[in-house]
Amino acid sequence: MKWDIFCSVVDNFGDIGVTWRLARQLVAEHGLHVRLWVDDVAAFARICPQASPDASEQLQLGVEVRHWHSQWQPVEPADVVIEAFACELPAAYVRAITEGKRRILWLNLEYLSAEDWVSGCHGLPSLQSGGVQKYFFFPGFTESTGGLLREAGLLTQRQDFVANEQARQQFLRSIGVEPIACARLMSLFTYESAGLSSWLDVLEQDSQCTQLLVPEGRILADLGRWLAVDDLKAGDSQRRGALQINILPFIEQRQYDQLLWCCDFNAVRGEDSFLRAQWAGRPLLWHIYQQEEGAHWEKMQAFLSLYCRDLSPLAGAAITSLWQAWSAQESVAEPWQAVLLHWDELSAHAEKWCEQQAEYQDLATTLVQFQQNWL
Amino acid sequence: MKTAQEMKPNSVALIDGQPWLIQKAEFTKSGRNSAIVKMKLRNLLTGSSTETVYKADDKLEPVILDRVDVTYSYYSEPNYVFMDEEFNQYELNKDDLESVMPFIVDGMTDVCEAVFFEGKVVSVDLPTTIVRQIAYTEGSARGDTSGKVMKPAKLSNGTEVKVADFCEIDDWIEIDTRTGEYKSRAKAPV
Repeated sequence: MKWDIFCSVVDNFGDIGVTWRLARQLVAEHGLHVRLWVDDVAAFARICPQASPDASEQLQLGVEVRHWHSQWQPVEPADVVIEAFACELPAAYVRAITEGKRRILWLNLEYLSAEDWVSGCHGLPSLQSGGVQKYFFFPGFTESTGGLLREAGLLTQRQDFVANEQARQQFLRSIGVEPIACARLMSLFTYESAGLSSWLDVLEQDSQCTQLLVPEGRILADLGRWLAVDDLKAGDSQRRGALQINILPFIEQRQYDQLLWCCDFNAVRGEDSFLRAQWAGRPLLWHIYQQEEGAHWEKMQAFLSLYCRDLSPLAGAAITSLWQAWSAQESVAEPWQAVLLHWDELSAHAEKWCEQQAEYQDLATTLVQFQQNWL
Repeated sequence: MKTAQEMKPNSVALIDGQPWLIQKAEFTKSGRNSAIVKMKLRNLLTGSSTETVYKADDKLEPVILDRVDVTYSYYSEPNYVFMDEEFNQYELNKDDLESVMPFIVDGMTDVCEAVFFEGKVVSVDLPTTIVRQIAYTEGSARGDTSGKVMKPAKLSNGTEVKVADFCEIDDWIEIDTRTGEYKSRAKAPV
């Protein structure tokens, strides 16, 4: 069975991050032949360092990665076609689907959202001409959606890793971090935020030491301004009061997972790192991708409503205020203090949430099942 | 061609050679740069219904429909009967009227449009703005007069609408039929 996944890189690494994980999982766990078409191979090579940023075709971890050129060269469509995040398939490719004699399943894989309407749209057809079978497929946090990307054995790997202090220390040193004993370890991988300085001010003056690990990314300029240091780069470390900051290189997905597992708290963004932080089972701060007309606020609120359902009202309010303030570019000093007050509850809840979500079928499996039912 | 977003309830799209009446269309801003429209469709040839989703900018082929001004006359199980100026009667059932059912009430005087496909009436459009009377609502909780605080209210047919907090039982209100939302308080129709 052949699958084509199309990914148009809009900005950042979320879209390619999600499709690359999905492609790998379909190959590794479902034995499928997958072509991943990406229009920005250089972006792919950032998250898959062994990949060539220039190759038109390459095989990576069993996935046939193809450069989706603007000048499309006709190919035979696969049996299942995924347009990720509503990207526009090449017109010639769509014609080949329409005019071909084979039944081809065409899926539009949408962004992750906890909003109520998602379950009402998941799996619905999108009527097309020529008898083409197109459906909308929505990842999500409930049983009536397509589930979440989660590799088999992911949680066991995390538990084994966390339980092995030597492996943890070894990993941190491999990315240039000398762990500080007794420090609260946190990671920071968000978009730019005016709220950052208020957070760093609090951490600097905290009675407990914090070690903040910051992979290279968009937040670095704000961080540099607060530190009054130009051109922060991987390997740099800075100390301010109780706060130790380490700048990390941009790391590949497997390492990023391990980084999240090492930390007590993770500040993440977008979709891919947001989900991986949930699988880390630790409290998190989600910097949601800003949308036109403020559509992201409803999306964030929908997730918070679900996430906070089993939290005490005060703990739920604390995490809600923190996320809202950060994404609104406001001071997070007070919300952070509230989060600290409910730290134990939030930590236990993050683990429980992770376990609850892991009870649902994962996204790759639901996609394969959908295709089998469609057949 | 029109985008899916531009296709409104009670319009008809030709999809794969089949005429589909759009009974419901819900626009949702989805992920970044993407929006979708969920539609309930009824095939005008076979009568079958389906739900479908489109990207908001997907192209659909609209069918030009004949329209005639009508008013609602009476209900005769299981049909709602509308009449034009020449006293021709048009019967539609609840499914045909799905998108406007929440606002069909006895005695309504709105000038509606009966929608025809190949000579057969398939649905009815209401005016964009209609006036209805509140049958029940709770009293004002906070004495708000700004119109920003909303509360639920019921029309005589049981339809629930969110209205301004200062609205009271028996008040007349304007409703936008495209969204089903309260617009303002209104005078009683003459």
